[in-house]
Amino acid sequence: MTQISALPFERSDDDRVVAGVAGGLAATLGVDATLVRLAFALLALAGGAGILLYFALWVYAAGRRAWAAEALVVLSALALLTALGLSTAGVLGAGLLVAGIAIVAARGGSLRPGGSLPIAGIALTMAGAVVLLSHLGASGSLLAPGAVAGALVLVFGPWLWQLWVERTERIRLVERAEVAARIHDSVLQTLALVQRDAHDPARVASLARRQERELRRWLYGGGFGSADTLGDALAEAAADVEELHGVRIELATAGDLPLDDAIGQVVLAAREAMTNAAKFSGTRDVSVYAEVGDDAVSVFIRDTGAGFDRAAVASDRRGISESIEGRMTRAGGRAIVTSSAGEGTEVELTLPRYGAS
Amino acid sequence: MKRVVLVDDHELFRAGVRGELEGAVEIVGEAGSVAEAVPLIRELDPDVVLLDVHLPDGGGEAVIAAVAQERPGVKFLALSVSDAAEDVIGVIRAGARGYVTKTISREELKDAVARVAEGDAVFSPRLAGFVLDAFRAGEPVGADAELETLTTREREVLQLIARGYRYKEIAARLHLSVKTVEAHVSSVLRKLQLSSRHELTRWAHERRLV
Repeated sequence: MTQISALPFERSDDDRVVAGVAGGLAATLGVDATLVRLAFALLALAGGAGILLYFALWVYAAGRRAWAAEALVVLSALALLTALGLSTAGVLGAGLLVAGIAIVAARGGSLRPGGSLPIAGIALTMAGAVVLLSHLGASGSLLAPGAVAGALVLVFGPWLWQLWVERTERIRLVERAEVAARIHDSVLQTLALVQRDAHDPARVASLARRQERELRRWLYGGGFGSADTLGDALAEAAADVEELHGVRIELATAGDLPLDDAIGQVVLAAREAMTNAAKFSGTRDVSVYAEVGDDAVSVFIRDTGAGFDRAAVASDRRGISESIEGRMTRAGGRAIVTSSAGEGTEVELTLPRYGAS
Repeated sequence: MKRVVLVDDHELFRAGVRGELEGAVEIVGEAGSVAEAVPLIRELDPDVVLLDVHLPDGGGEAVIAAVAQERPGVKFLALSVSDAAEDVIGVIRAGARGYVTKTISREELKDAVARVAEGDAVFSPRLAGFVLDAFRAGEPVGADAELETLTTREREVLQLIARGYRYKEIAARLHLSVKTVEAHVSSVLRKLQLSSRHELTRWAHERRLV
């Protein structure tokens, strides 16, 4: 069971007045040696307790006769208690109490089912408590129940403590399992896909970027949940387009605002523009910049690819006119597509913010 | 050839960058931690340090703080996967002359190193967005109004960087020379580093999760 680990304590050879015990203790505890010596001196005034304690530590440091050291410590404690004005009965009570707890602890003081029941220890503890309490002058009616309750607390205390430690441990394990599940669902799956598609650098790159975004959102953004701001929604759209079309989308934002119906339309239009850039521009790099100004929200989607001549686009191709321009108009904004053959394309989406502060 | 030191705790990443920059610059040293980087930079006195924002025993900021004073000729370019405004603004304010994300293409990285070595500033689109956000128009100005706001021209340049335009394209669009565009970007960097307003820190803090 629980064991109080021994402090690595040695007498000090450099810092010694008598035997180096105070110096060694100071080094172990990380305090000033003078302070330790002062404590010993004060304790020495208490019926010689300090002197006995000094000898106890000396014996302990010698590394032999542990029982001798223990006996000296007990004697020192008794001397101290006596000096503090406790009568023999009080000292006896305290002694019994300590001995009882020691036995309970030594026997693995646990009252869990199947655990050993150190009756002797409990009895000693209770007896000690009774003696001590009666000596301190507690009233008779309180005495017996009080002593029993006190003893039980002393015995059960470590057990409750242990229970609490185990509980926190269990919570930690559950959290760990949750993290493991997340990592399995996302990172490990992605790594498997990366191994399978290792021959296709574009696919690997887009998988890695998508995973990076997901992991980052989980680590810093509080969950895998769907986006609730313009910036997050654009990041999601960009990640999707990257994965679907194997392009690299650089997203920059200045300002952000919560999603609503109109902003949602802007995100959808932006996504369409990203998809167009990915499919038709012939370049692998697309830039997206969203700016939330005081009176308008603007999103720019740009590629440095082939560009196109608007007049040459077949009129039944509804991507730009419907999914981008029509959508923006219905939301109350507008879309401007600037493109010329050989110089890339930029789509600018603007939505006025009426009544925005 | 420019002498470059690479500071990043991922050896694989360092190997990748070394491969990409081969022939364009001379990689004279590599370090994986603040403790390794500081004496190495002092000893080698390189032209440019490619610096990861996050290191196991501190950040890129710690490296800059320890070296910048006695090696004023060394230029720092922050290179990171971090999206957090706080990290990015922090390392720039510590003295880095630019910030690029690790997904940057080979050509852009070469260009960025050369630019930083010449003493110019390098803003990735993401950093340009952060800066525009931090210096919002119409916000109250601090003690030194000139330092606390961006000029219209600087805003235009930054917006175009954020939209993915190269310096040359920006120059053509705004009818400026490339040198003038560079001057605007350097001026923004100076404001970012010297601006005293505490809102910048607070702003970065609020944006940490974005």
